[in-house]
Amino acid sequence: MSDIASFNAIQLDAIKEVGNIGTGNAATALSGLLSRMINMTVPKTELVSIYELGEHYGDPMQIVGAVFVRALGGFQCSLIFIQNEEDANLMVELLLKQQFGTFIPVGEIPQEMTDSALSEVGNIVLSSFLNAINLLLGTQHQISVPGVAHDMLSSILDVVASIYGQMGETALLVNTELSVEGLESGRKISGHIILIPDPDALELLLRKLKVI
Amino acid sequence: MAENSIVLGMADLTVIRATTPVKLITLGLGSCIGLVVYDPNAKIAGMAHIMLPSSRGLMGSEKVGKFADTAVPAIIEQMLKLGAVKSRIKAKIAGGAQMFSLPGMSADFLTVGAKNVSETRQRLGRLGIFIAASDTGGNKGRTIEFSTSNWMLKVKTLGKGVSEI
Repeated sequence: MSDIASFNAIQLDAIKEVGNIGTGNAATALSGLLSRMINMTVPKTELVSIYELGEHYGDPMQIVGAVFVRALGGFQCSLIFIQNEEDANLMVELLLKQQFGTFIPVGEIPQEMTDSALSEVGNIVLSSFLNAINLLLGTQHQISVPGVAHDMLSSILDVVASIYGQMGETALLVNTELSVEGLESGRKISGHIILIPDPDALELLLRKLKVI
Repeated sequence: MAENSIVLGMADLTVIRATTPVKLITLGLGSCIGLVVYDPNAKIAGMAHIMLPSSRGLMGSEKVGKFADTAVPAIIEQMLKLGAVKSRIKAKIAGGAQMFSLPGMSADFLTVGAKNVSETRQRLGRLGIFIAASDTGGNKGRTIEFSTSNWMLKVKTLGKGVSEI
C-alpha cells in the first residue's frame, strides 16, 4: 500500500473532495427522506493514530449508535454513520413520525424496529454517499447489508483499528458531520459519516483522482 | 485505603508489583482483548490491551502489546523478571467481540475478535499458563477492571451490567 504519511497536501485535498461530493449527495437523500433541511460541515481528511481513535472522535466511553457498511468493487472501502445515542434515538423518532404521522417515543418502540429504522437511515445516507463517489471515480460498488451497533465509541472504532492496524499505526479517514435542522424542538440532530478506505485501495483512489 | 488505578490505552502492556492494592483498567474493548496475568503469591500482576492476533513478523517500532503473538510472551517475560514464578501465573481474558455483523459479507477484520481470542489462548497454552477465567466473544463492548486486592476481574457490558470473573 501507499505510505499514508507521505501523502502530500494536494493528494489529501483530492481525497477530501471525494468526501465533499459523497456527503452532498448523502445530505440530499436524507433531506428527501425526512423532509427537513440538512446542514453539512466541510469534510476533513484525517490521519489518525489507531491508538487514539476513541479520543479523536469524542469521549471514548460515550454510547453511540452506529451503522456500518462494506463496499466491494473498484475502490474498496467501509463506511460508518455514527451518532450519539441520544441523536440516534431522535433520528429514529423523526423517521417514524415522518412515515406514520404520529410521534412515538423511542422507549415504546421494540429494539428491532428502532434498529431497523436506524439501519434504514444509515443505509440511505451511506449508499447515497457511495453512489456519488462512483460517479466521480467511474467505479462500481457492491454494498453489504448494513450492520447496526449501540455501544461505547471506543469499542465501535475497534473496527477501524482492525482495518488499519495490520499495515501500520495511522488510519486515513474522511470525516463529515451532517445535521438535521428546522425541528419543532429547536434541537438539531447530528451524525458523522466516516469513510474508511481499505489501505490497499488508496493508491487506486489517488490514481482515479489523477493526483498520482 | 483507596486503590491506585492504572488505565491502559490501545496496545499498552504493563506489569506491576502490587505492594499495595492496584486496579488495572481497560475501557471500551470491542474486538480487542484485555489480558490479565497474575501471581498472587509474589503479588505481581500485568495487563495488556491486545488489538490484533498476529504481527506476521512485521515488528518495527510498534508496541509489543498490539499483537497477541508478541504481547503474550512479552508480558510473561516481564512477570518473570519481576520475580513471578511461571507455574503460579494464571491468566484471565475478556473481549474479542464482533461489533458488526454484515449478513452475506465476509471480511477478515469483521471476525478479528474471535481470532484475537484463539491466538491469545494458544499463546498462553504454549507457555503453559493456566486460564482461570474468561468472558469473550458476543457483540458487545466491555470495560474491565482487575483488582490485586482479590485478583478478580470486573467486566462491565452495556445492557448486561457487571460480572466478576
